[in-house]
Amino acid sequence: MPELPKKKVGLIACSGEEIPEGTITRLAVRQVLESLRPQQTVTICLPLFLAGGEGDRAFARFHPTITVDGCEKRCAARGTEMYSDKPAVSIVVSDSACPNSAALGSARRLSGAGMQAVSDVADQIARHVDHLLDLKWDRRSGGPVDGSTPQEESKPRQAACSCGSGIPSQVLRVAGREVTLIALPLIFAQFREAGKLPSDSTKGQLIEAVRIYNLIPDEEESAYARAVTEEYAAFCRGGN
Amino acid sequence: MKEKVLIVPCSGIGKSLGSVAREGAYIVTEELCPERTQLMPLALLVLGDKEPQTELSSAGAIAIDGCVRACAAKVVEGAGGTVAHGLQVLDVCRRHPDLKPSGISELDESGHKLAHALAEEVKELVDNMRGEVTHA
Repeated sequence: MPELPKKKVGLIACSGEEIPEGTITRLAVRQVLESLRPQQTVTICLPLFLAGGEGDRAFARFHPTITVDGCEKRCAARGTEMYSDKPAVSIVVSDSACPNSAALGSARRLSGAGMQAVSDVADQIARHVDHLLDLKWDRRSGGPVDGSTPQEESKPRQAACSCGSGIPSQVLRVAGREVTLIALPLIFAQFREAGKLPSDSTKGQLIEAVRIYNLIPDEEESAYARAVTEEYAAFCRGGN
Repeated sequence: MKEKVLIVPCSGIGKSLGSVAREGAYIVTEELCPERTQLMPLALLVLGDKEPQTELSSAGAIAIDGCVRACAAKVVEGAGGTVAHGLQVLDVCRRHPDLKPSGISELDESGHKLAHALAEEVKELVDNMRGEVTHA
């Protein structure tokens, strides 16, 4: 699998507005994004799997994803699996952090017990993030232990959603029809940065990288390889 | 009107305007028109389950979106519902240029004021929707 620029864990909260457990999912995910693991996590709104485009639906294929649901309906986990990919971890608040729903307050205003549940769920999410990224956390320094930091963007980022961007994708013409290939711009950028020029040997590596995020029918592999290689050559010529 | 008007807010957790949409929906359904409206969580509609779809098909819906991607309106329509009115919080923002909301987990004062302004607009729509039906 290529080391694409963003190795982060995706977090998806059900955000269910009618129960306090839904509010807990939302606030716990925000706590992880803002305070506990801001550099290692990214989020997307669950409904974007339906309302968004291919780039949005690629979210869980691109990021190992933790879903956080408020109740046993597990809308976030099921929706993620249905539209994107199977989540790496699925947390259900009503199973774990809060045995007594009535003590949590209302969906709009959590009680002290509800806010404690937020912290507990946030800690649980952070532990899963560390595990998924093989990250060892130094509790004294409050940062990752040297050598265990995942590949990161160099510039600082705000805890925000992916819904303004999605996973970059590109439309190519393959075997007479248009297909959308997830992560293609990132793969091209990475190959060029690695000094891999368009060639027959690069063609095989390119198509293997593309296959990780996209379904390529066996019978059309050569057509895909040809189209991707031509596009990569254009990408290198254009200096995008 | 056969059923309560369904209020479907954006479930965004990445931007302040999503939080304004949600808070505005709570104000409408809990304070301004609790007898005439009902909150519909967007997550329930994502899976295509029958129960929420049945509710949608028998009631008018007001979608409140926090960003231009308009998930609430699109998902309601995708689930077979009818968006009687689709609101963008950004439009409400433009009508109240003095309010600059910030905060996501906890809205600031400006965000709460904007949520109240949004809720008043939704209430007016609810009143009109019921009027239309009553006089039909």
